Amino acid sequence: MLEMRGITKTYGALRAVHGVDVNVARGRVLGLLGENGAGKSTLMKILFGIVRPDAGRITFKGQELTGHTPKDAIAAGIGMIHQHFMLVDAMTVTENVMLGWNKTARKPRVSECAKLITDASKNYGLEVDPNAEVGQLSYGRRQRVEIVKAIIRGADLLVLDEPTSNLSPAEVNQLLDVLRQLRNQGKSVIYISHKLGEIIEICDDITVLRDGEVIGECAAKSATRASLAQMMVGREVPPAIKRSEHALGQEVLVVKGLSRHDAEGFARLSEINLSLHAGEIVAIAGIDGNGQADFVNVLAGLSSPDQGCIILNGRDITRASVRSRLSCGISYIPVDRVRTSLVPRMSVEENLALRDFFAPPLSRRGLLDFSAIHASARRCIEKFGISVAGPDAPVQTLSGGNQQKIVLAREIGRGPKVLIAHQPTWGLDPGATRFVIDQVLALRDAGVAILYISTELEEVLTLGDRISVICTGRLSEAVPREHVDVTEIGLAMAGTAEIRPAPVAAFV
Amino acid sequence: MTTTHQEGPPGSTGDTVPVVKREGGMLAKSIRANGLRTMLLVVAAVLLAFAVTAVLIAISGKNPSSAYWALIKGAFGSTDRIAFALNRSTPYILTGVGIALCFRAKVINIGAEGQIAIGGLAATAVALYLPQLPLVLIPAAIVAGAIGGAAWAWVAAVISVKRGVHVVLTTLLLNFVGLLIVGHLLHGILGDPGAGFPQSPILPEMAWFPKLLPGTDLHIGILVAVVAVVAGNFVLWRTTFGFRLRLMGESHAAADYAGVSTSQCTFAVMLIAGAMAGVAGGIEVLGVHYRLIEGFSLGFGFSAVAVALLGATNPVAVLPAGLFLGFLEAGALSMQREVGVPSSLVFVIVGMTMVFVLSSIGMSTRLRRV
Repeated sequence: MLEMRGITKTYGALRAVHGVDVNVARGRVLGLLGENGAGKSTLMKILFGIVRPDAGRITFKGQELTGHTPKDAIAAGIGMIHQHFMLVDAMTVTENVMLGWNKTARKPRVSECAKLITDASKNYGLEVDPNAEVGQLSYGRRQRVEIVKAIIRGADLLVLDEPTSNLSPAEVNQLLDVLRQLRNQGKSVIYISHKLGEIIEICDDITVLRDGEVIGECAAKSATRASLAQMMVGREVPPAIKRSEHALGQEVLVVKGLSRHDAEGFARLSEINLSLHAGEIVAIAGIDGNGQADFVNVLAGLSSPDQGCIILNGRDITRASVRSRLSCGISYIPVDRVRTSLVPRMSVEENLALRDFFAPPLSRRGLLDFSAIHASARRCIEKFGISVAGPDAPVQTLSGGNQQKIVLAREIGRGPKVLIAHQPTWGLDPGATRFVIDQVLALRDAGVAILYISTELEEVLTLGDRISVICTGRLSEAVPREHVDVTEIGLAMAGTAEIRPAPVAAFV
Repeated sequence: MTTTHQEGPPGSTGDTVPVVKREGGMLAKSIRANGLRTMLLVVAAVLLAFAVTAVLIAISGKNPSSAYWALIKGAFGSTDRIAFALNRSTPYILTGVGIALCFRAKVINIGAEGQIAIGGLAATAVALYLPQLPLVLIPAAIVAGAIGGAAWAWVAAVISVKRGVHVVLTTLLLNFVGLLIVGHLLHGILGDPGAGFPQSPILPEMAWFPKLLPGTDLHIGILVAVVAVVAGNFVLWRTTFGFRLRLMGESHAAADYAGVSTSQCTFAVMLIAGAMAGVAGGIEVLGVHYRLIEGFSLGFGFSAVAVALLGATNPVAVLPAGLFLGFLEAGALSMQREVGVPSSLVFVIVGMTMVFVLSSIGMSTRLRRV
């Protein structure tokens, strides 16, 4: 039914997908598996006409699709269920289905459309009430509204992007039942996920992507979780890059039973325990959105936990302000350079002063000391080799690598006891990535306790003295790098392995 | 500090360069930040606005060149006209500096009108009812005006910060409440019984603002405004508080990350802006009318928003922007008298200028320094 041949797309130096072939037969469910950034989403955007490929051919129902738009894709019979639904909350299900109806076809009456919804709903076991207001529906039901919408518009191929990431286990089972019904009635499905269990359960065929290429194809019957995890992650522990061996220092940071809920009552962090010693790097792997941001924000003092405590050198800092955490030596590199760790329209020197401007030597009695700010900026620029016109150039004129050097210079330059780094290499080219990693390792050798969080498994494996996995707000026990089993980490990241929670650390 | 200075790389010129930079001081920095480019844009926008308005004057059947000649004469034609224009500029500049500070922090305070009214009320009350001590009464009345304006701004800030109502709404709506409170008091206990108009009794002469130029109406308010400009500029560019405001205006996430409390800063900058508006109100009462009159604020508080924006929210640039508006209004009143062109055309000119300036700044905003 669908044939994609040699699909290639590059963004600048980044190869998003390269020579990818995908086949979906009528009445089959294809699982598309891969880590973040493996190219799954790019591939589907190409299929749906959101992104133009550089090379490759797409044939759908014997008809070639080139230069098509999402509208053409819908008309051809491709239905896309995005992770974020394209529904209007204030409208009813029927109104949502009718919204954006193909102009050429005769627009059905509301009652006709409602009947279509009821029929489709009965046919596929969707249980969708055409008169319900979308805003009142649960996440799982909204998803089924999206499916109804696609079916009524004549979709023969449904693409579901991470469909279960916000569903409860019961809703997941319902969704899988719906997909089975669709398959039995001759519809095809592409199911994108990194959840191995679901993929094996629902799919007929599995295609695994890694770094933009198809790394393996197999029938779901013959696949095991371990073999898939191995394929998806696909690497051994990389050799350590010149790291000195030294005895573990004192325990510096202890986290006990940290839990946090968001405004809607979802648990973002549950019972996180962690201990961090001087001179070691604890690296946390995990797929994006599993509580990493909540965890680092709680540690940095930007949000407060519901339960649990954070102890730095024997002092409880759970409720301490950002400033007092700064003064007791916690440095923090957030993932978001553009809004959080840097102010793009301010100058390099002001950005370097961002976290210490309120105290001597950079200011005195509320007055900024420009000669001190200037001198310290010049030192940082020289020491970290930041290439910039001058300390008063706006940060937005710098490259990403140089911007991150400013953050590093500031956070490392303040002589921290603990460094929390959240994806510090995000969006950097290989050279700048290497610079960041070398700086982190140098800091470790200087006896700083480092918490390194990344979705790049390779970095985690390279840097971590101990390695831990975060999944749905739970943190696994940190395992020394010598004992790390990559397959097990892949399974834990995908949420299929039983995560052994770390034991409560002893008080220092 | 000296020690850190000497730690700089040996042989580098790092020791002298910052000193040289400092000589230029904050004015250099402001100009750099504001940009020569922006100034040229503003001048071009003003000229464009005059050109468009000339067309409007022509359409209304009057001669644009004689109208503009009357406008120029009205603004600069005599010492009295200049004095009038400077007096008119004073509340714009004072209030505009406070609003510029707020806008820097992206606290959209449009409540100056009410803050001016309450400030004028407080100043009047002190001048009328406090013991008549020379040298003390005027400062006391002005301080009361500042406190009154700040208190009114504080109410808006509390509702906004504690209850999450957008500050645009709280400040805007409290304007009407403030004006009505003043009106109510003037119709009642504060009113002059014989006047037949909602105004207070005339203030004792001891409370009248001294004249700057004897023989004209020019009072010392303009000096207060200039001091406010210098102080506002200093606060914004040289103090940690100013740094906080600029930081918060750029990104709340970055402010949180830097340990800056955005709610504290909101309160602080609102109190400052409210106090400046309150002082402006007090000066109008003590320097121009010598009594509190209903509606004495004449929409100054709203026009001051335009002044702050014309000055690109830079306190130094608020001075020319405020003078521009003051002289424009002075000239327009003569223009109306002599040529019969309605003085409301001033607002057309100001409005056009704003549209042109803001759209040109908007285009260049991508690379604008904070």
